[in-house]
Amino acid sequence: MTATTYQPGEIQGLIKINASKCKGCDACKQFCPTHAINGASGAVHSIDEDKCLSCGQCLINCPFSAIEETHSALETVIKKLADKNTTVVGIIAPAVRVAIGEEFGLGTGELVTGKLYGAMNQAGFKIFDCNFAADLTIMEEGSEFIHRLHANAKGEENAGALPQFTSCCPGWVRYLETRYPALLPNLSTAKSPQQMAGTVAKTYGAKVYQMQPENIFTVSVMPCTSKKLEASRPEFNSAWQYHQEHGANTPSYQDIDAVLTTREMAQLLKMLDIDLANTPEYQGDSLFSEYTGAGTIFGTTGGVMEAALRTAHKVLTGTEMAKLEFEPVRGLKGVKSASVSLFDTELNQNVTVNVAVVHDMGNNIEPVLRDVMAGTSPYHFIEVMNCAGGCVNGGGQPIEGKGSSWLGNI
Amino acid sequence: MNKKKHLFAEDSFFLSRRKFMAVGAAFVAALAIPIGWFTSKLERRNEYIKARSQGLYKDDSLAKKRVSHANPAVEKYYKEFGGEPLGHTSHELLHTHFVDRTKLSS
Ligand code: SF4
Ligand code: SF4
Ligand code: SF4
Repeated sequence: MTATTYQPGEIQGLIKINASKCKGCDACKQFCPTHAINGASGAVHSIDEDKCLSCGQCLINCPFSAIEETHSALETVIKKLADKNTTVVGIIAPAVRVAIGEEFGLGTGELVTGKLYGAMNQAGFKIFDCNFAADLTIMEEGSEFIHRLHANAKGEENAGALPQFTSCCPGWVRYLETRYPALLPNLSTAKSPQQMAGTVAKTYGAKVYQMQPENIFTVSVMPCTSKKLEASRPEFNSAWQYHQEHGANTPSYQDIDAVLTTREMAQLLKMLDIDLANTPEYQGDSLFSEYTGAGTIFGTTGGVMEAALRTAHKVLTGTEMAKLEFEPVRGLKGVKSASVSLFDTELNQNVTVNVAVVHDMGNNIEPVLRDVMAGTSPYHFIEVMNCAGGCVNGGGQPIEGKGSSWLGNI
Repeated sequence: MNKKKHLFAEDSFFLSRRKFMAVGAAFVAALAIPIGWFTSKLERRNEYIKARSQGLYKDDSLAKKRVSHANPAVEKYYKEFGGEPLGHTSHELLHTHFVDRTKLSS
């Protein structure tokens, strides 16, 4: 029996340093949130898998392209697209639409939702916007927050821990699971948008697509390498469990069958000779491509909080926020905080909700967690994203906004 | 939008970096990153983070609906299938549990 930080079945050691390319320059260490990288300056470095979150920050910042992913679903996805009996559902994360254009010569940050839908439709995907699932996440996570807030205000037993942490970033979730298990009750129990999307595609979606769930192959397109690890967590087969309980009898399948990073999706389109830059726009093929502005800002730091506040305000006060743009949670400050005072119609009194937003987790989270551990945290709701800037700068995104490693091989 | 805007500023840096590597790698065993690499790297990083975030804020401001509770598809999902937020089906399908990873062994 040896200690491990992985459950059976989970992808372990996704991010690896290629010893023949590593120059021992130490750059990666500066970007690792968990100090998982070992090696003296000038010597070949290596990653401690048990500490690693698979976030890929070291990979996108290594000046020598010496860090690689050990797992890619690209070939499997191409085979599934060619299989007439399979419905391949492409689940598109918010941050992908403002980055994938860079791989096709478009400007940094250019918004290409319609073209991406078009290109993926040509490739044979059904379009499922993960932003739809982000909206679902807000409904669940926001309701959970309001429930905890009210139960605590009324002094109910089992009221649920405050502050509530967001749970959509698998890097952050794994960080808490490996380092601060005592704080797990503070995590929202809502699944991440990726996992909600996979589950919905194979349950409600099976009705919408009029398909057997086992013939639906879900491919999420993510700005994130850690999402591959998340999808492999053994508990994430809830669609299968659901169907078993409703009389099905099939071998188990995951809610998300494959994860492609933004870089890998660009590669797939290129392999299929689809030039995203010149693809006509496409609107989508089902209700799963309907999303709101609140869902789309999930991809940047502060976005989940801003989206949650928009809905919480409506639920608590009965009215929409007068101004939807909530500036205090925008921008690149490491820890952003704000207080919102509003009239709570259920409690029939004014309440002040204190929120905080943390990104670039490795550099900013510790003091926040220390306060929570000590019971002195002033906050009720805290958004945490592992990557600096949020998912727009995730480990699966085009590198340096130009679509290739910036130094390449010398 | 921002098309290749910061290519030029970077080029001189790349060049000196490349030269440094070509010369340095030949006879220096321990290869330190040139002074200023980190700062310059962070500056460029923040630039593309801002550009991509702007793209998302633009998507938000263009959206027909801007609050999750007004998404007609979400409404349809709950009505036809999911029940209500935090309801029975939601607990089954949309919520999860977490794992204390300090207690795992293989
Ligand atoms: S940044 Fe890359 S080359 Fe430098 S030590 Fe890390 S893995 Fe090696
Ligand atoms: S993937 Fe993330 S956690 Fe793992 S070594 Fe790289 S930077 Fe550190
Ligand atoms: S911030 Fe986003 S991209 Fe980075 S690890 Fe978390 S979910 Fe992945």
